[in-house]
Amino acid sequence: MRIGIDVGGTHTDAVVLDGDQVVVAHKALTTADVATGIRNALAFLSDNGADMAAIDAVMIGTTQFTNAVIERRELSPVAAIRLGLPSGRGMVPKLGWPDDISTALGDRDYMIHGGYLYDGQKLSDVDDEEIDRVISDLKSRSVRTAAITSAFSPLNAEPEKYVAQRLRAAIPDMVVTLSHRIGRVGLLERENAALLNTALLAFADRVVRAFEDALLDFGIRCPVFISQNDGTLMAADFVREFPALTFSSGPTNSLRGAARLTGLEEAIVVDIGGTTSDIGVLKGGFPRESNMVVEVGGVRTNFRMPDIQAIGLGGGSLVSDNGKMIGPQSVGHRLVTEALIFGGETLTATDIVVAAGLADVGDASAVSDLPDDLIANGLATIRQILEDGIRSMKPNSDPLPVILVGGGAILAPQELSHASQIHTPEHSGVANAIGAAIAMIGGEAERFVNYTDTPRDAALANVTKAAESLAVAAGADHTSIRTTEIEETPIPYMDKGATRLRVKVVGEVAQLKGNGPET
Amino acid sequence: MTTTFITPEMLADLSAGAAFLATGGGGDPHLTYLSACEGLKQFGPAKMIGPQDLSDDALVVAIGAVGAPTTSLELLPSVDESITALQAYKDLTGRTVDAVVSFEIGGGNSLIPIVAAAANDIPVIDGDGMGRALPEATMMTYAIAGIHPTPAVALDYAGNTELVEADTAEAYERLVREFSMKRGGMALTAEFQMTGAEMKACIVPETVSLSIQLGKILRSREGSAEQLAARIAQVFDASIYGEFKKLYSGIVADMSTTVIGGYDVGRAVISPLQADGPSLAIDIKNEYLTAHLGEQLLASVPDLICILDYETAQPINAERLRYGQRVSVFAIGCPDHYRTPEALKVVAPRCFGFDFDYTPLEHLP
Repeated sequence: MRIGIDVGGTHTDAVVLDGDQVVVAHKALTTADVATGIRNALAFLSDNGADMAAIDAVMIGTTQFTNAVIERRELSPVAAIRLGLPSGRGMVPKLGWPDDISTALGDRDYMIHGGYLYDGQKLSDVDDEEIDRVISDLKSRSVRTAAITSAFSPLNAEPEKYVAQRLRAAIPDMVVTLSHRIGRVGLLERENAALLNTALLAFADRVVRAFEDALLDFGIRCPVFISQNDGTLMAADFVREFPALTFSSGPTNSLRGAARLTGLEEAIVVDIGGTTSDIGVLKGGFPRESNMVVEVGGVRTNFRMPDIQAIGLGGGSLVSDNGKMIGPQSVGHRLVTEALIFGGETLTATDIVVAAGLADVGDASAVSDLPDDLIANGLATIRQILEDGIRSMKPNSDPLPVILVGGGAILAPQELSHASQIHTPEHSGVANAIGAAIAMIGGEAERFVNYTDTPRDAALANVTKAAESLAVAAGADHTSIRTTEIEETPIPYMDKGATRLRVKVVGEVAQLKGNGPET
Repeated sequence: MTTTFITPEMLADLSAGAAFLATGGGGDPHLTYLSACEGLKQFGPAKMIGPQDLSDDALVVAIGAVGAPTTSLELLPSVDESITALQAYKDLTGRTVDAVVSFEIGGGNSLIPIVAAAANDIPVIDGDGMGRALPEATMMTYAIAGIHPTPAVALDYAGNTELVEADTAEAYERLVREFSMKRGGMALTAEFQMTGAEMKACIVPETVSLSIQLGKILRSREGSAEQLAARIAQVFDASIYGEFKKLYSGIVADMSTTVIGGYDVGRAVISPLQADGPSLAIDIKNEYLTAHLGEQLLASVPDLICILDYETAQPINAERLRYGQRVSVFAIGCPDHYRTPEALKVVAPRCFGFDFDYTPLEHLP
């Protein structure tokens, strides 16, 4: 059996899964120290039939690291070491960052020679004397954390590894993040990602220890995993090195949970909350990723993030203009006191569906005198908003199944154009925790290739192999690995055949082979 | 004389306007923008003058970047590179330079000469050699007017320079592109030196200030694309561009591109927002080149076709256009520079592989 826990900003959800079956589920408020919320959830599970001795694995999804960046807390100072000179002269690390977060990370920025070009040639040689100077400055200022980024390191990471090795040899307690381990092509965004990650390392250590302590209190000694933004897992120890990979794992887990609850691998998922609905796309059972630059706390990054569109429709959305206008303003979590059906005085989207007899929530008599045209307009507006949002997320014009999850799923009509079917699965309220519980281990590699020099098959095999070894290193069972995504981006203005090739693979958690639910 | 001082704050407007005038091409100007801001913080504001304000015998040179925008994601631009390129030009050719000018207003190339101007305390000219974005040096109004591109200087990321001499603009285009591919995929060039008099005869004037005005409107976030259209039209009405037309608002229903001969080639189909009706098809070769409603041509290169996000009015370039986006499509008549027989020999639809002649936007439905 597995436990899935999702620590959100408001709720901590927990679920025990036996194979595909939900044994027990629980939704509780997130506590300020997080660990207490998890202990409360575990206590509920334990008291309601879950055998803690039979748990094989615990999977945790958490927003703590995203929130730390957004709120500028728990961040440690970090030295930025970039290898790319003589290119990028004057383009200092942290350029364009908001002042407050730039200040939080300190002013130790070093730009030195090294790195590669798109065609595999050296951009410049690494200069040992420059590295000596960086080391002596770090020593004199007692800086012990650094993010190392070199040009085209996703293509060739040797310069990053070399500097890391020199630093560790000279300063034994040095802690570093190598950018090629965390981001993809796009030097500034990858460097930003590495810097944020490094700044979170000390906090990550405390968070993981708190998780482990809470589980030990309940006698749970099985492997613990944390979910990443791409819907795969990392071992808890891995989070101590890569906390930033948890950014945006909440929506990812909700998409993955929806896939598991319905068995669908290609679908649109609409997670309807109190204020907004998050719309995402399942591709091969995993969230479609955004190809846009993603800002985290005002910092541009190129993390692997799910492509999510948030629209202003939720259970608490305000209704105006005789039902022709719904949202984006909302009573939010005050829905349970302010909506008409809960004895309040605000007309919300939930009141409309209850008045129409489409949902049985609260006191229906409180909305029995709403005019028919208001109800009809309101339902039409809800449908229109959802249909527009779904249409703008669909990969092409073919109808796709739509899966509704979240507390506000009752808003959705029985029929939507662009939807081949509509699914509202049981336990959809804890889809996030289920998504965490069923996640797999992933690996991803990206290279610039030229199909004129290297045949496509050979190039694909090389990149796939690189992705597979990353997945195995992260704890995947190598016999279960399969490719989930191949992305080929031709490069304009370059030679014919020049392509950016990205491959993503997933595999089951190695320790669970044989007794896990996936076959 | 109208002199404007370009500040780092104005660069944000300029790059937003330049993204509009890039007509789908030009790449992401974010890195160039960051670099130019640093340059102006270091050297102070850049002085910009109108083309007429440069004396006829003064010497002006065009500066910009040539290469694959994708490689500059890793091979970062340097804040001082346009300054180095200008210095190398003076050193290698022995010529003097009284002013600098952009060769392409669409995309990041609109920003590159500005830092060189600020650092050398010479003016940057308010204008450019395209009035939009186009893929090749031979398509610049400077080349069309018969200005010889060489002697030119190409500069790589490491500061290596090469003096380029070529007998034709076509030969020059191939030489600088080879140089950039061998040197990491990106190069800076100083080229097309002209006298003030020659420049006045061929430059597309006042496109930098127009781009700043456009950017200001687009960045105001004061309405959807259709709501801002009237204000955008006013900017073009008062300019050397032709008619401004709203072509269509709809939803991207299909989008595919492949690389052919080093270009992103493909087609986007945009279907109506509500109900049924004919779809709009946009043909793409790096830039948006033609717009057809059913069989009917609505606009074609060299006139400008621009796609904005329907809700936010932000310009969308071709690599970011994707299925399901709600967009508004506009067309703007190109400046008369591109409507002469000489110009149409290099920028007419047939030059991009289409099987029809150019019809000016105002003669189309």
